[in-house]
Amino acid sequence: MSTHSKAAEAFIADSERTAWHNRALWFVREKRDRMARSIPEWEALRDAAAHTKMHTITHLAYYLEMFERNAVANGIHVHWAKDAQEHNETVYRILSEHGARHLIKSKSMLSEECGLTPYLEERGIEAVESDLGERIMQLMHRPPSHIVLPAIHVKREEVGELFERELGTEHGNSDPTYLTHAARKHLREKFLHADAAMTGVNFAVASSGAFTVCTNEGNADMGTSFPKLHIAIMGLEKVIPDYDALALYTRLLARSATGQHSTTYTTHYKRPVEGQEIHVIIVDNGRSRILANPAHLNMLRCLRCGSCMNTCPVYRRSGGYSYSYFIPGPLGINLGMLASPKLYSGNVSACSLCMSCSNVCPVKIDLGEQIYLWRQQLDSLGLANPVKKGIVKVLNTALRNPGMFHFCVRAGRLGEKIAPRGLLYCGANAWGRDRELPKFTSRTFEQIWKEELSSTAAGSPETVPEDSSTNI
Amino acid sequence: MKIGLFIPCFVNAVYPSVGVASYKLLKALGLDVDYPLGQTCCGQPMANGGFEKDAAPLARRMEELFSGYDYVVGPSGSCVAFVKEHYPDILHREAHECLGSRIYEICEFIHDVVRPSELPRAYFPHKVSIHNSCHGQRLLGLASPSELNVPHYSKLRDLLSLVRGAEVFEPSRVDECCGFGGMFSIEEPAVSACMGADKVRDHISTGAEYITGADSSCLMHMEGIIKRQKLPIKTIHIVEILASGL
Amino acid sequence: MTSKDTILEALRANSPAPLERGPLGFTPMTFEDPLAEFRERVVKAAAARCFLLEEGRAASDAVAAIVRRTYPDAKRIASSLPEAAACATFNPDELKDPRSLAGTDIAIVRGAFGVAENGAVWIPRTFRHKALLFIPEALVILLDRTQIVCTMHEAYSREDFDTYDFGSFIAGPSKTADIEQALVIGAHGPRDVSVILL
Repeated sequence: MSTHSKAAEAFIADSERTAWHNRALWFVREKRDRMARSIPEWEALRDAAAHTKMHTITHLAYYLEMFERNAVANGIHVHWAKDAQEHNETVYRILSEHGARHLIKSKSMLSEECGLTPYLEERGIEAVESDLGERIMQLMHRPPSHIVLPAIHVKREEVGELFERELGTEHGNSDPTYLTHAARKHLREKFLHADAAMTGVNFAVASSGAFTVCTNEGNADMGTSFPKLHIAIMGLEKVIPDYDALALYTRLLARSATGQHSTTYTTHYKRPVEGQEIHVIIVDNGRSRILANPAHLNMLRCLRCGSCMNTCPVYRRSGGYSYSYFIPGPLGINLGMLASPKLYSGNVSACSLCMSCSNVCPVKIDLGEQIYLWRQQLDSLGLANPVKKGIVKVLNTALRNPGMFHFCVRAGRLGEKIAPRGLLYCGANAWGRDRELPKFTSRTFEQIWKEELSSTAAGSPETVPEDSSTNI
Repeated sequence: MKIGLFIPCFVNAVYPSVGVASYKLLKALGLDVDYPLGQTCCGQPMANGGFEKDAAPLARRMEELFSGYDYVVGPSGSCVAFVKEHYPDILHREAHECLGSRIYEICEFIHDVVRPSELPRAYFPHKVSIHNSCHGQRLLGLASPSELNVPHYSKLRDLLSLVRGAEVFEPSRVDECCGFGGMFSIEEPAVSACMGADKVRDHISTGAEYITGADSSCLMHMEGIIKRQKLPIKTIHIVEILASGL
Repeated sequence: MTSKDTILEALRANSPAPLERGPLGFTPMTFEDPLAEFRERVVKAAAARCFLLEEGRAASDAVAAIVRRTYPDAKRIASSLPEAAACATFNPDELKDPRSLAGTDIAIVRGAFGVAENGAVWIPRTFRHKALLFIPEALVILLDRTQIVCTMHEAYSREDFDTYDFGSFIAGPSKTADIEQALVIGAHGPRDVSVILL
């Protein structure tokens, strides 16, 4: 069994929770659908967004240099980091230079990717997550289970207990409004006392040297409002050419992510204001390598909206922790394989190839199709599931020629008749655990054809009326 | 025009009645239908499991068997979609040189090519819930996928509207995957079965007596769950409804 | 070689064939009555309040009346705008440290234009501390009713758009749904937003 399959089985064992998780995420998918239908040009917008990203990806060096030039002219400090380690070192160096000990963070997947928080904590720097979901997960000492909705798997009662313990809220009160406002009070103190703020970057506008950060809570905005230092970190694929491009993405992002027309705050940072300093760190960490991989290059278009997770029927029923990569769902399956097939091939089974993810993606990444392609590589990487390999061997033998096929059908028919149910539905039969096997019939279609139908086939062939005007 | 009937492996072995209904239906529409002997499988099970190279001999065999036909028609959206999408890569040929350019899922073929205005003998006095299978929906375009902002249509619903007595419903999550997914169903048995059970329940909540669709594999998976859980609904391939009375 | 050079070199070496930008390929939606659409989305999509200032009355009095009626308990009201002169209790630009804005009940600021498709208002910084937009309990945005664009395309095409140093499109009060997808207003920023159309 794959790592995902095993973890998923454990998650599903709690069927009530699985149903609840599934419902909660489907609700987000439905909101996204309503948004998509409210924009007449939605599909053309996706086309343009995908095309513009492709254009950018094939001009990355050009746009990154343009962004740097303009950002520097605006008074922003720009740094480059080859990998996670250099990224973490750069953050730490900037913090040290400013004597900063208390960092207030807004949600950034790049920070998770680089393992920044533990790195800073080891060096005595307090790094506080300010997005409510991220803060819940931080207090629980668990990673986020979704990139946009980090605590989507946590029930209100569990948040209530956590906040009672950590923030001293009333015993037994799990009202989301009450709990959110308790977190507001708790984090306000953190905002006011932080000596540095960190944000991610949703879009870096090359033509202007500005960048945008999108949130609903306003936590990135609160975070950057008080301390002198603002560090913004970005994967190098976050650069876009100009404001025309930004219009496409700001129209798609929130509608796809959470089913809102826009995030509450779409904040633009162009020049540091009065006494503040802005540092942008541009991070590669394997992205330039993806550029050389034509089959998976499209992953660099990703806006990190999370819509592929919300629609994924497997993710909804297996939860974020069933995936071994820190990003779950169709996006995580693909990014995990790009990061390390050896470490993350256990997620590739988590896809029924329903292709819904490819249809919701605002930049039309062929997520499902790419998972199919990864599967083709597992065997040559020595990572194929041995059970599956065995099944394919049997299929190869059974299906290679019609004689063998019909022999196997006869054998199957016999086996079905004589084998006791306990053997047919033994532990090795993954199909039979929750499903009855289909029954062989007394004759195959081919036999029926030979014995009954073939004689009728030769007679009176007519052609389809070419002028058929009836339409149904 | 000469039509080759493509009967996928598991339809041949466990759902031959679907093959028979397909033949009768095409024949009743006045078409010249033949079944080339010696068919086994299109290769999809191996390929979806990650062994596309093992599908190559089967793809070559399919190409050979159906080389003399103007149209190839089969009662399985998923298999047809696989031939269309992947044979050019597997066989290293241009798409227009491959079987994919001539192959149709049977409902698609009847709806788009034959275009009958009536099915005079079709009578099925039952409530049926349409199973919009993923590959039929998202790869073949049998209906407008729920994710896209495109005008709504459903070829299966159009065809069922020609059947007297049939009352047609659709589940609330209209094209959510049933969790079959070929090798997925045994590699991820817990998720697959959970998806199947959810889907069956969604169909049941329409009040339908039957789940019907253009993919025998999805129906097989759901049938397995229905039988195990003894649920109050049955499965039937849509051609068996369209061919009722023949 | 610096990391920058290493990265840029790798990007150049690995880059696939350049793809041209291409035309937009569609005509963005428009609204027959952008102002009406904007007002509706401010309320329904952004969960804010929207007021149309009565004509013929002094703006300062009208704004004060709305603010007092809507926020009867507000004590600390920050603004340096002339239209807020009748109700503001202090000028936030006179504070040196943005932290001193803690405890502000209302900030009254000016928006540059509104976006009909999402109910957001573009607020470039025209005041000293950007915290002014985020720390008060309520935010009141004054907006010229003739300054409404239909979509984000139009927003970013405005000639004077790129003249800000800091700015935000704000669509209603701060919100979250991070606990069980239950919508809660007032996560970190203002719990209440009013857009007053002048």
